[in-house]
Amino acid sequence: EDAERINSADVAVVEERRRLLDEWLAWREAVEEELAEEREILGLPADLVGELLKAKTAQIAPDQEEVTVE
Amino acid sequence: MRPILLSGHERALTQVKYNRDGDLIFSVSKDQQICVWYAHNGERLGTYHGHQGAIWTVDVDPTSTIIASGSADNTIRLWDIKTGKCLKTWEFPTAVKRVEFNEDGTKLLGVTEKRMGHLGTIVVLDIIVDVDAEQSDEKAMTIVCDESKATVAGWSYLSKYIIAGHEDGSISQYDAKTGEQILNYPIHELDNAITDIQWSQDRTYFITASKDKNAKLITAKDLEVLKTYVSDTPLNSAIITPKKEYVVLGGGQAAMDVTRTSARQGKFEARFYHKIFEDEIGRVRGHFGPLNTVAAEPNGKGYASGGEDGYVRVHQFDKGYFDFMYEVERERANRIGVTA
Repeated sequence: EDAERINSADVAVVEERRRLLDEWLAWREAVEEELAEEREILGLPADLVGELLKAKTAQIAPDQEEVTVE
Repeated sequence: MRPILLSGHERALTQVKYNRDGDLIFSVSKDQQICVWYAHNGERLGTYHGHQGAIWTVDVDPTSTIIASGSADNTIRLWDIKTGKCLKTWEFPTAVKRVEFNEDGTKLLGVTEKRMGHLGTIVVLDIIVDVDAEQSDEKAMTIVCDESKATVAGWSYLSKYIIAGHEDGSISQYDAKTGEQILNYPIHELDNAITDIQWSQDRTYFITASKDKNAKLITAKDLEVLKTYVSDTPLNSAIITPKKEYVVLGGGQAAMDVTRTSARQGKFEARFYHKIFEDEIGRVRGHFGPLNTVAAEPNGKGYASGGEDGYVRVHQFDKGYFDFMYEVERERANRIGVTA
């Protein structure tokens, strides 16, 4: 009987965590979507820092094409 | 998880910051030094000389071109990372307790201290991220905190809001364009100062640390409290770790407050909590005094902490850290076919 009680407590904990995880992921999805929309309205690139770094590289070495080293 | 010890500072650390790539660490201290270190081996690359007082704060622009620092000498300074040259100095009537660049590095905010005859303010400076550019002398905006001084502040996603934490335990949201206060909520216990605010990667939510021993996860858009992490010591700093769903809290009772207890009870540990489930999952010891600042490696590979003891400890996460999952997380990962 004890074992059963412990077991059902565990199940409740796990179910609560599952609920929290689902809730979190749903919230993140909504926020990311909204952010992408707002960014688009403002005409900002998705990878803002990537664009800034590209501009910096171009400024340092204006005549060189981007070279990918593999 | 053997840490690298950065020893070079002679007094308490006040803030530690990684650059965007995570290869450099900037540290500031009451010893009036700004140091830059290689994150992978702890070698000191250099120092930035000029401040005449304790340095409270440092930040690095997103392209790792310049850093900004704020000090008890009432100045904000801008530095060329590579050459160590001071590019610009702005003077204020009081000490500068926090600086932060916005997402694209074109704006810098500074939190100024309240003192007899001077209210605390949040100033905004326009920045040109170019070491050869002439920076403007003028402040683009000043927000006056007449209720309770701001202790920390930062820029939200899309530089839409300025979020500030106050001495009275409240959080404010300001319109970043006009400086108008939109919201102010008493989020932490009254008159328990908010000691830190740090962002999620996309700056849509942030974590607070407070003297009331709690840290909270809050949305930038409407200041809704999403999570609360309860600890047993006053907190000085908190981070959200990228990649894994954790938060790390740092704090500890200052020496003068623990006269009747042993150092062991000072609780000088970094505390890990699960971000979503709010459980404490581990602690990392090492410092001999309170942790004044923690910083997250931007790629989620580790973290650094700066202590009242004058040391920076740089930790690389090990495999166990990345493999650890709650049952429900594993279940979901298996379902969507992702392995840890």
